[in-house]
Amino acid sequence: MSTLANQLAVAEREEVARAIRLLLARPLLTEAADPAGFELVRRRREPLGQWFDYTCGWSLVVEPRRGYARLTKVRADPDGSRPARRARSGRAPFDRRRYVLLCVTAAELLSMPMTTIGMLADRVVQATAADRALTAFDPVHKPERMAFVDVLKLLESYDVLHAVDGTTDAYVESAEAKVLYRVDTTLLMRLPAAPVGASRLTVPPDEVPARFESLLAGLVRERRYGGALADGTTDEALGETAASDAQRNLRLRHSVLRRLFDDPVLYRSDLTDDELAYVTSLTGRQILRRSVEQAGFLLEERAEGFLLVDPDGLATDVRFPDDTSTARVAALLLLEPLCAAPAGLLPEQLAEAGAELLRRFPRWAKAYQSDDGAARLADDAVRVLRDVGLARRAGGRVVACPAAYRYRLTETTSPDPEGSRGEQP
Amino acid sequence: MFRFTTVERSDLYGAVLEAFGVAGEHLETALGIDAVRERLRAVGWAAAVEDEDLHEALRKLVQWELLDVVHNHAENYRTAEEYERRNLQYSLTRRGEAALAGVRHALEVLASTGALQTAVLEAIADRLDELCLLSGEPASADRRIFSTLRELEGHLEALVENTKAFNGELQRLLRAEGADLEVFREVKAATVAYLQEFLVNLDRRGHAVAAAVARVEERGTAVLRERALRGAELPPVAGEDPAAAWLESRQARWVGLRAWFLPDDGARPRIEQLHDIARRAIVSLLQVLERINESRRRSSSAVQDFRELARWFAAAPAEEDLHRLWSAAFGLGPARHAHLAHPDPELIPSSHSWSEAPPVEVSALLRTSGRTERFTRTAKVRDVAAVRAGRAERARAERAELARAWEALETDGPIRLSSFGTLDPAVFDRLLDLLGRALSARPDASGLRRATTGDGRVEIALSPARDERTAVLRTAKGTLAGPDYVVHITAVGGASAIPRVGGARREAAG
Repeated sequence: MSTLANQLAVAEREEVARAIRLLLARPLLTEAADPAGFELVRRRREPLGQWFDYTCGWSLVVEPRRGYARLTKVRADPDGSRPARRARSGRAPFDRRRYVLLCVTAAELLSMPMTTIGMLADRVVQATAADRALTAFDPVHKPERMAFVDVLKLLESYDVLHAVDGTTDAYVESAEAKVLYRVDTTLLMRLPAAPVGASRLTVPPDEVPARFESLLAGLVRERRYGGALADGTTDEALGETAASDAQRNLRLRHSVLRRLFDDPVLYRSDLTDDELAYVTSLTGRQILRRSVEQAGFLLEERAEGFLLVDPDGLATDVRFPDDTSTARVAALLLLEPLCAAPAGLLPEQLAEAGAELLRRFPRWAKAYQSDDGAARLADDAVRVLRDVGLARRAGGRVVACPAAYRYRLTETTSPDPEGSRGEQP
Repeated sequence: MFRFTTVERSDLYGAVLEAFGVAGEHLETALGIDAVRERLRAVGWAAAVEDEDLHEALRKLVQWELLDVVHNHAENYRTAEEYERRNLQYSLTRRGEAALAGVRHALEVLASTGALQTAVLEAIADRLDELCLLSGEPASADRRIFSTLRELEGHLEALVENTKAFNGELQRLLRAEGADLEVFREVKAATVAYLQEFLVNLDRRGHAVAAAVARVEERGTAVLRERALRGAELPPVAGEDPAAAWLESRQARWVGLRAWFLPDDGARPRIEQLHDIARRAIVSLLQVLERINESRRRSSSAVQDFRELARWFAAAPAEEDLHRLWSAAFGLGPARHAHLAHPDPELIPSSHSWSEAPPVEVSALLRTSGRTERFTRTAKVRDVAAVRAGRAERARAERAELARAWEALETDGPIRLSSFGTLDPAVFDRLLDLLGRALSARPDASGLRRATTGDGRVEIALSPARDERTAVLRTAKGTLAGPDYVVHITAVGGASAIPRVGGARREAAG
């Protein structure tokens, strides 16, 4: 009725949209890390919870007093482009050692509200020694301590650990470092998001590599789509037929929208037949459009697929194009030769393109000035492009994906004397 | 005195003492070795004891001065052996009695559970009321005063002991973690219910007792104690007169009673602290319960889940698989989206392919020099606070400037325009504005033109110049020449209506 009511509705819509995008970028949003963002989520938790539940089938838990909001993202087709990252060393991805230590440490932390870094390390030593599937943790060696510190810092970044006294980094230099932690075990227990606990799928350690895919699938199997049992023993075909129409629709909606809202590009060619049928159906299309709008995204629909644009850049961990690293700038420039070669480029051609870039920008990062620098630059750039869904490997070649064309050059610009004198990151 | 509890065979010593204790309850003060054996069975000592051992035990107890041994010559003995065996009669010494009482008490404390009993509070109030009544009665009531006083003390003691025990148990309950969760939950839930029940009416009962204490004291407690002493009919004891000590003890108990319900110096009665303790306990118990419930949901398997995941990570085939497992198991990965949009996305039909659609505008600088213009980056979260603070700061500055301007312009009475002389540009703007308003107003009967500023806080009265003089006003930006009007500028409600910033330009108006 009144303009005030309208204004409030507009404000709520904007806030909800903003909060949706914040949570997409940060499935665990803590008050300590982002007070303003958390306040927004806290205030709008009801519509937010409804939106996530309806659209993606993800549950949202907001704990106003404990100061965190957790969106449990479940993906049936997890990709490897968004690893856990170290807080130090240029945010390098976690390696095997760090992932293993993370899980062992988490298991040990569950039983204690307070601990010191030394006691915790001792327990990790014991736990890894007791498990023949794991390499024993040895804090005598500095690389091991560094890995341990990276793990603890990740947990600190999630607010699971809080250093009451001392700093975690000190442990890298000496295993004698004194750091006292408070542990939020409740929050720790909220870290795993998979609907099925790993311990329910236990297999002998030496069978894990061979059955890895089925383990992954079993981890994210959800009961509510019908058929499949949580223990992962159900025959796939039987599971499909046992689902009701409603469950089937729910599964289609969630599987399509989860990827749309989480991934940089959703190509039609990557969808299954029934998923494709769903997005081309009238209802599917309406739901898709409405939920995109509610989240404050712009939908870009093309013949080959969909992508979401967030002009505020809230709902993303990286931006493309961007100038935060040489590889990112090179990735943008690499799109040019890549788009010009529909059949894709061979590694040698990519290396040549990399060398060309290094010639064009002699001042570029010293890191790529060695003998194999051009190839490494090309490699890193291709990884950037793959991470944002603009390129893929096909056989031995790297091929541009359709969405890559949205970044092509509009008009030819002569090399700009202004630009070439600019210093490099 | 308690040595027998810490040495070897302490259970036998304990049982023997207990046997003497039970015998004492039957008014048998001396026992022979056969009687001891018999009594031992009665107190639940089932194991066989050799005569040798029993003798040895009794001898030790005598040595520790817990038992006395006397020779009984009253019976007829047939053999020397029998004499040796039977003639010894043992009885508890005072130390022995105390030791037994101590051990019994210790066991009792171990076995007892504390409680907060509202009934005890009622009983205390009742006894106090009774004392009040009795104090009005003649000497014949002395005995009843004595017994009532002792009952009162008994109840108070029970209250203190129980509360102490209960509080101790409560703290242990709060500390104990990881016990059998099911039992734990029940115990805690029951405790919360009990405490809540107890807290209801605690205030009222506490006040009732306090009032009763006050009533008794009006009658005089010293007299009451004296009469109780008479009623007690203390037995004669060797040494000094026990009456003084007895009275003192009663006095101390009474002080204790007052501390609980009606402290002298206006301190908080301890019964109110009970309130706090109970309330705090409820809160923390509920928190613990919540934590247990929370952890019960997944904790049994959570540790196992993490361990299993560690094994999977250790055995995952490729590096890519590590990240996929991380993503599947923890779902902590961020979303990833484009941020460059078309200026008008609606114009491009969705059936176009990406290669047909126009490209988005990428910063030319990024392509040519590898840098983007900084304005393309928006802050992660719009910081409204900073904007608001900036705005407030600006508003404050504007107000201050305005205040300064008015202060410079305010006149003590009608003055010539020319007397302003040189002015600050901002002040000049204000003056010009005022003059403009005044000149556009119609002159009143006396030829005076009056006008106020937009906010009505400053008023100007302007009358035409009496001569043809020209006023010249100078500012840093230029000069203004015009008729030399007589103006009178006042702040409505006096100068105080304008927040004063500084009187620096006072003389300019002078």
